Amino acid sequence: MSQRSSFFSTSLARGLIAMILGVPVGMVLVMGVRLLLGLLPVWKAEPAWVGGALIGVVTFMLGTGVLGDWLKWAKGEETSEHPETPERKGWAKILNVSYDHKVIGIQYGITSLILFSLAGLFALTFRTELAATGLLFKDEANILGMSGLGFYNTIMSLHGIVMIGAILLGVGAMSNYLVPLMIGANDMAFPRLNAFAYWLNVPGAILLVSSLFLGGFDTGWTGYPPLSARAPLGMQMFFMGVYFIGLSSIFGSLNIIVTIVKMRAPGMNYFRMPIFVWTAFATAIIGLTATQLIGLSFQMVMFERLFGMGFFEPAKGGDPVLFQHLFWFYSHPAVYIFVLTGLGVISELLPVFARKPLFGYRWVALSSFGIALVGFLVWAHHMFTSGMAAYLRVPFMYSTLLVAVPTGVKFFSWVATIWEGKLSFPTPMLFVLGAISIFLLGGLSGPPNGVVATDLHLQDTYWIVGHFHATMFGGFVFPFFAAIYYWFPKMTGRMYNERLGKLHFWLMLPAFYVQSLGQMQVGLLGMRRRIADYDPALGIQTTQLLITIAGFVIGLAVLIAIYNFIVSTRGGEIAEANPWRSRAPEWQLPSPVPTHNYAEQFEVVGEPYDYGLAGSVYVDMHAGRAAAPSAAD
Amino acid sequence: MMKPEKPQRVLIASSHTLFGQGLRSLLQSRPEADVEVVGIVSNLEEAISALDRLSPDLVIVDYDDERLNRDEFLAHFVEGERKLRVVLLSLQDGEEAIVYDRRSMAAAQIDDWLENWSAPKVAEPFSASENTKTNEYANPRRGNMKHLIIAGILVVVVTALLIFALGQVELLPTAASVQAQPIDRMFDLEFKVIAFLFALIVVFMVYSIAVFRRKAGDTSDARHIEGSSRLEALWTVIPLITVLAFAFMGSQALGETQRIDPQAIEVNVISSQWSWSFEYPESGIVSDKLYLPVDQQALLHLSSVDVIHSFWVPEFRVKQDALPGGEGFVRDLRITPTEIGEYTVRCAELCGRRHAYMESPVIVLSQVDFDGWVIEESGLSEDPVERGEKWYTSFGCNACHSLDGTPGVGPTWQGLYQSQRTLADGSTVTADDAYLHEAIINPNAQVVQGFLENLMPQNFAERMSEAQIQDMIEFIKSLR
Repeated sequence: MSQRSSFFSTSLARGLIAMILGVPVGMVLVMGVRLLLGLLPVWKAEPAWVGGALIGVVTFMLGTGVLGDWLKWAKGEETSEHPETPERKGWAKILNVSYDHKVIGIQYGITSLILFSLAGLFALTFRTELAATGLLFKDEANILGMSGLGFYNTIMSLHGIVMIGAILLGVGAMSNYLVPLMIGANDMAFPRLNAFAYWLNVPGAILLVSSLFLGGFDTGWTGYPPLSARAPLGMQMFFMGVYFIGLSSIFGSLNIIVTIVKMRAPGMNYFRMPIFVWTAFATAIIGLTATQLIGLSFQMVMFERLFGMGFFEPAKGGDPVLFQHLFWFYSHPAVYIFVLTGLGVISELLPVFARKPLFGYRWVALSSFGIALVGFLVWAHHMFTSGMAAYLRVPFMYSTLLVAVPTGVKFFSWVATIWEGKLSFPTPMLFVLGAISIFLLGGLSGPPNGVVATDLHLQDTYWIVGHFHATMFGGFVFPFFAAIYYWFPKMTGRMYNERLGKLHFWLMLPAFYVQSLGQMQVGLLGMRRRIADYDPALGIQTTQLLITIAGFVIGLAVLIAIYNFIVSTRGGEIAEANPWRSRAPEWQLPSPVPTHNYAEQFEVVGEPYDYGLAGSVYVDMHAGRAAAPSAAD
Repeated sequence: MMKPEKPQRVLIASSHTLFGQGLRSLLQSRPEADVEVVGIVSNLEEAISALDRLSPDLVIVDYDDERLNRDEFLAHFVEGERKLRVVLLSLQDGEEAIVYDRRSMAAAQIDDWLENWSAPKVAEPFSASENTKTNEYANPRRGNMKHLIIAGILVVVVTALLIFALGQVELLPTAASVQAQPIDRMFDLEFKVIAFLFALIVVFMVYSIAVFRRKAGDTSDARHIEGSSRLEALWTVIPLITVLAFAFMGSQALGETQRIDPQAIEVNVISSQWSWSFEYPESGIVSDKLYLPVDQQALLHLSSVDVIHSFWVPEFRVKQDALPGGEGFVRDLRITPTEIGEYTVRCAELCGRRHAYMESPVIVLSQVDFDGWVIEESGLSEDPVERGEKWYTSFGCNACHSLDGTPGVGPTWQGLYQSQRTLADGSTVTADDAYLHEAIINPNAQVVQGFLENLMPQNFAERMSEAQIQDMIEFIKSLR
């Protein structure tokens, strides 16, 4: 075990130590600047912390060594071809900088699960508060320096943004690990940028969570000004955390796009790519082009707070509604970043477990682009009651409802794929089917929000909470677990525990339905979003209690899954080479995949999902020459 | 399976005479395959011209013929505009044939394939571009229809059950405003469509899960069905029309919620962290509770003094954010309460620490009670005569009617009550309560001699409340 070389020599530990040292350096720098400019007092908490955090992130990145090769290039030094990083094992592999897309994918995945658990913990905390009327966290209380209600608002806000971070990282996990393998590349186009993008997330997440200890913030993850312009210091940490995670997302998207465009195997034209690659492609295009807007809108509020600017401050000629336009211009397409890859997993796995071709491959592939495109034209449906120009509501209603069309194509094509198939139901397939049914619930609860008349009632209620949790669970959480279970043997060479996997599924599915339908019902009856307490007169206490219980069951299910992953990685059964009898290229490789993926470039000679077509193959693994030894050992 | 009316037309491409002639005689010795060899060509150019002349259904290419450029041949036929079936046939390699989609077949399979190949063309005339089905299905259509019909019936049943179940659950609070009505009609329609679509997908899924399970030990694949552009187009166009219809109806419903009543009572709603304040500009009342008269439209001017808040009474359905920033940022919301009762306005936009408790009572009163409340709150006198005197000036009556007998555009009010009035038509009438009431709201009904018709505004019935009219009559009574 090479992790005996101690935790403190890992990239993560070195980064953290450097960050701890960097923060005070940044603070001193800010104080120096203030002194020079004659701004008194020299110590002012907010600019000092912002400067400290900024320098802290830079020193973190330096500390990890992920900038090493670039710094050498800058100095004119040669670096070795990647990946020459020493072959590490176990945790050491995960905790150190690696340029191997598979390791980075797994790093993304593990970080995602950690953030997912943390955000889940926040959710269970405030679900406990909501289990009954009245306040559990008394307003007079002092929790981490916040009042009870301030604490509630902070963890509710953190639940949202940390979950979003977890989802972005989960998406990164899937596309980093899978895209190069699926298109026959040996790595991403820019391996160093890939590692850089991953490691940015670590200080980003630390900043997000640090807001909890710096006064919190009570604005929700949407951070609308003027509220966010007057929230406590934690607000700035939230803005900066989002900023760095967003930056990572932009770099990651760029990398995915270049990889897909430039590095596909011979014979793999766009319409012969695995369907997951299509969704990763559409996702990356959104990530590359929209993320700037959330960064921009948050930066503008940061500047309002730091420099007294007035972009959104009416007293200074600004407009609070403008922020919402900028914010939602990213944050609506972001929803499709969250779900498209998940939908790609569904489309990818269904043919394998139905032993039938994906019905209407081209339509399914193009529907992802349809969703991505329309997704850019609908942002103002989050603002039907915001007080934006009233006449704009009708065109945005039309564009919003159009999203239903490409989404419908996906649903119908999925059903047609399993129709008359020969279905089997191991854990990944269960999660795929669960995902379809839940995403259906999420999708169908969308149009009432899209129709302005009914949205006037629904906006800012628990109906919305139920709606988007259904889309997130159906479009990301269930597919993500499906993907982890499905590619688990590929990543680790071992099988997960099937019984625990099924237990996970059968706990999570019904609990989720109770939770989501309950949220929708209380919302219709008058429960607002983001409140710590509700009026007993609404008559929703029983449902609230059920939602809380369901939330805890989901938490338990996730714990079982994580236990399963940890135990199976160490001692699971050795997996067969291709346990799912998939046609995909990555399953023709040994598990876990060798460092350089494909020793020999394969060639695409057929369609990806021609299950049931006798003698057909998708890839010719030995296109170069015959007589290469079978790699199934 | 029906036999095709016409024999299938086959073109053979090979420069080896033996290959072409041999294959031709082989095919023609099998009348049950119903194949007619329409020509033999030896290169690509010939093949292209033969295509136009002979319009074959199938081209069989000699895989081993080096004088034919196979790739070019395939590129032309498979990727070109013509969607033809092309079979590559090799005699060297264990009598293997390869269809253009790179399926390999043994010689024995070729016979079956040739027989079956013709059949789907008749059954599925639109699917010419699809690959032929493997030979294992005997009559899939009938089974397919059976499953479709059962699932279709189940969809109808489940939809009906869902709609019934939705009817049993309390979904929305009572609707207590005119604006709630179009919104609730939209909700009703939406829930029904959702129930149908949910049933549609879930029934087909659950049916597949239940019926199309893999049998234990069966490692074979299912039927090779790649898709159907016709179906895809169908389930693109129908949802498109549906959502456009919904958007249209949604716009109509939105329009209804914004219908303007010029007589609406105006209220300035001022929000702040974490309370509501309501100002009635007509009477100067400022209240922390919102009082509204039933069946009269209220025009709320929403604003905020600090952060964004949102005005929402669930029973009224409509919601609007209140923005800070003063005049340019005031937003309007129209509500016409239809039910007398007590409601609560709750801030719906997160506004900081005590957001959860930013609530105020909303009290909908009958018109009479509301007028009483206005009188009480606006600090007006308890004495109706004094209130009438106030109305006398605030409604501008003093412009035409004197109180001291001075003649004016209209009759003086001095000594008016219970006096005998001579009307324009010469009849007389006593100026009692009923006469005065009528004279205020409908001045042209009984014009007093010597005064002009159409001079007094006709709209006091709308401008004045009943209570104000009564106050006015009391005031006139006092002017003996």
